[in-house]
Amino acid sequence: MAQNSGNSYFDVSVFFILFRETLEVSIIISVLLTFLKQGIGGSSQDAWLYHRLVRQVWIGSGLGFTICLILGCACIAAWYKFGKDIWGATEDIWECVFCTLASVLISIMGLAMLRLNKMRAKWHVKLAKSFAHSDSNSIRSLSSRYAMGLLPLVTVLRESIEAIVFIGGVSLSAPPSSIPLSVLVGVLCGAGVGYFIYKGGNRVKIQVFLTISTCFLYLVAAGLISRATWYFENYQWSQLVGGNVAETGSGPGSYDIRKSLWHVNCCNPLTDDWWMIFQGLLGWQNSATYGSVISYNFYWLGVIIAVCLLAFRESYGHLPFVKLKDIERDTDLRYPLIGVHTDNMGDKSSSSSTEEEIEIVAESSSSCGVSRHARS
Amino acid sequence: MRAFSLLATLAASATAALAATVQYDFSVDWVQANPDGDYDRTFIGINGEWPPPPIKCKIHDRVIVNVTNNLGNEPTALHFHGIFMNGTNAMDGPVGVTQCPVPPGSNIIYNFTVDQPGMYWYHSHFGGQYPDGLRAPFIVYDDDEPFAGQYDEDTYLTVSDYYHQSIPWLTANKFLTLINPTGAEPIPDAALFNDSQNIKFKVEPNKTYKIRIVNMGALVSQYIWFEDHDFKIVEVDGIYVEPTDASMIYITVAQRYTILLTTKNSTDKNYPMIASFDTDMMDTIPEDLVWNVTGWLTYDDNGDFPEPTLIDQYDFYDDFNLVPFEKEEPYEPDYSITVEVAMKNLGNGVNYAFFNDITYVAPKVPTLYTVMSSGNDSTDATIYGSNTHTYVLGYQEVVEIVLNNFDPGKHPFHLHGHTFQVIERSGASPDDATTLMYDPANPGTVNEYPMRRDTVYVRPNGYFVLRFKSDNPGVWFFHCHIEWHLAQGLALTLVEAPAEIQSNQAIPEDHYAACKAGGYAYEGNAAGNTVNLFDLKGEKLQPKPLPAGFTARGIVAMVFSCISAFVGMGCITWYGLSDLKTTEREVAEIIGEPLDDSDESK
Repeated sequence: MAQNSGNSYFDVSVFFILFRETLEVSIIISVLLTFLKQGIGGSSQDAWLYHRLVRQVWIGSGLGFTICLILGCACIAAWYKFGKDIWGATEDIWECVFCTLASVLISIMGLAMLRLNKMRAKWHVKLAKSFAHSDSNSIRSLSSRYAMGLLPLVTVLRESIEAIVFIGGVSLSAPPSSIPLSVLVGVLCGAGVGYFIYKGGNRVKIQVFLTISTCFLYLVAAGLISRATWYFENYQWSQLVGGNVAETGSGPGSYDIRKSLWHVNCCNPLTDDWWMIFQGLLGWQNSATYGSVISYNFYWLGVIIAVCLLAFRESYGHLPFVKLKDIERDTDLRYPLIGVHTDNMGDKSSSSSTEEEIEIVAESSSSCGVSRHARS
Repeated sequence: MRAFSLLATLAASATAALAATVQYDFSVDWVQANPDGDYDRTFIGINGEWPPPPIKCKIHDRVIVNVTNNLGNEPTALHFHGIFMNGTNAMDGPVGVTQCPVPPGSNIIYNFTVDQPGMYWYHSHFGGQYPDGLRAPFIVYDDDEPFAGQYDEDTYLTVSDYYHQSIPWLTANKFLTLINPTGAEPIPDAALFNDSQNIKFKVEPNKTYKIRIVNMGALVSQYIWFEDHDFKIVEVDGIYVEPTDASMIYITVAQRYTILLTTKNSTDKNYPMIASFDTDMMDTIPEDLVWNVTGWLTYDDNGDFPEPTLIDQYDFYDDFNLVPFEKEEPYEPDYSITVEVAMKNLGNGVNYAFFNDITYVAPKVPTLYTVMSSGNDSTDATIYGSNTHTYVLGYQEVVEIVLNNFDPGKHPFHLHGHTFQVIERSGASPDDATTLMYDPANPGTVNEYPMRRDTVYVRPNGYFVLRFKSDNPGVWFFHCHIEWHLAQGLALTLVEAPAEIQSNQAIPEDHYAACKAGGYAYEGNAAGNTVNLFDLKGEKLQPKPLPAGFTARGIVAMVFSCISAFVGMGCITWYGLSDLKTTEREVAEIIGEPLDDSDESK
């Protein structure tokens, strides 16, 4: 448990927790918004679509935030009332699940963003299709339509739950009066930095910005997968040892020596402030296991393979070793904003020819009452 | 002159003639019993009975104990706690120090004289074996005690903690394993009075009872009191003290107190007597644990046996202030040993106990046998091993042990072969982070006539200072008497006057025979090397320490991960900044959107 590091009106640990969590959320939101802005662009085209998706992003975030506020207040009230941490025994498993989920989502969304600038048209098609098929209520189409809202929702949920759990843990040693101010300042700083990234993105070469931010996102995602594995192994260890794990802090006994790859008694991201940020960005653990390191490396291997396959397909129009006559242009309705098929999902869906796509775009545009450039 | 010496000779032989020989034949075997009424288990008993029989003798008697190990599955060894074994160090009993383990089917004979009065006990000194049942009182009667005639009956009372599971199982599965990284000692399941509970201690009115009390437990110190009855403390650990009034004693494991208790002059009530665990010594307190045990001073067999009254705090007599009957002023030390007590984890993840960074590991050859087989090299501590933590003491010197306790727990320490003066004992430190250490320039309270005993406890993060005379040649163990801590290695070895041991003592053949029967080495240095005593290759050592920070494989992992990340990001960058490939360009052309990525006005 973090030491009370400050006076009674401001707690540095709480500040750092909120700063980090808000930063991650606002980075994701800002990248999504930038992506939307670039993809669907200025108000002269598809403004209705653009605003709708932007709304999705905000609603998703807001919904996530509200849910967590409610959950969090309930948690903290329960915490103080019953004196027990209701996440307690399974906290590690929750963390594992959330980290994995967030990592998967970021990974899938990430590569798409790199084709953002050039694939505006393609995305028009995708989005139009998804709204053309908006009658069906299958999960696929629902999630495809609300994917813009889903990612921020899940992200905000995860980050907020993490924040609440941490604060619940930290607040035992921090005076209650220090929490509100620290929370506020942390949230403002995190949001500020995220906003700056969003705004700043308009003034630099967009593609460079996107590439850098995608790299950054994948670093975060790799870190998340590593952390998910770590949390799972930590759960196994605390089941073996029972209640005593908490006593040992960062020292000997807080980890399973048989699975340890490195361990330093300092720099614990769960308790030490700057290392918390370091972990958020890069997945740092002060006590790494074989599992956490191997999963990190395998993740990057997966990303490298995915990127190579995508590049191959862009060059040659098909995946390696796939016979020419089986080539289909894919339009995976589950991921309407993704111009390329993600190979790790492994399935193909129906495709349409170029002419069909143009017709659909024309239809949806007119049904939305938005004029469209005629094709040449 | 001649008449005087004749008289002296006659007197000596008269004493010798009066001194008897007491012989016991002990067959050590497994016995079923259920002392707390809750759990039937097998105990290590003697001659088919559990609790084992007490040994009783008179001062100056010779005691011969013939021990046969009929356990079938465990070795054994017996130690007679507090008996000096002057001139017969081989009879002391700790395995690895003065003897080999006695394997199943073998036997060993302990043959020694007892020249000290008071209350003692005997117990197994192999591994953590005695809490499995092999312990019992050892009573030495003395007609010339200073309070002779002041009491009507001479009796004894034992207290103990008690585990339902066997010690080897607990040690391997719960205690000395990496899943117990904090070294939490297993919690006992019950407290016992005389290896039972709810005992009725029959007393008659207006009598004085001499009650010799011993704590035969494995871990917990206990507070003992008799409701509405005060008593006088007259002896501790075989040392007579000036009778001291008290109403409650605090007795650690292995300690003894002898008290004189005078009963009331009416038989209308029975009074509870209570032994209560010092719960500070337990890591956790399970909800269903009853940590007191009750009995009654039974005046009236047919009367009520009331429940004991709950008390708010323990108001016990601090044994530091007892004044020995034979008063000695504090010795001035000739040789001083300073040790720090600490617990930490080694490379196998297990929590061990240390004296100055050394945790005791028993040598391949018992240290006494190394003395006997090392000739002139016996005064060089190297030959006794790197992990036996041996100090070689001269003969007839005053030795001082300063012990600074860096652990936030209480520990009762016992020195074999001696009693010691307790020069100083500090209070507990105010917090876990600081340890009060002995500073000879700023001494604490020293009594005019320091208290003496053979087992004394140190307070959490405090210190004590002991002094004794090295007038008993032998190899003597100094260790914490909490069996779990002994298993963790909280021990050191004192080789006292090795040249005198060699010239005046011999190891009986049956002791060597036990070694041979078990396949244990019995000659040479700590590694069993009889040729070059300074070559310790092959000796038993403590586990390696935990890796401090990044080891080679950690650095490799980190570097590899960084490389993966950079290659991954490189791929992403390449993909992100690369030119469009064919099919995408086609789509863009068809739809009529410009591909220029110098578009900025979005």
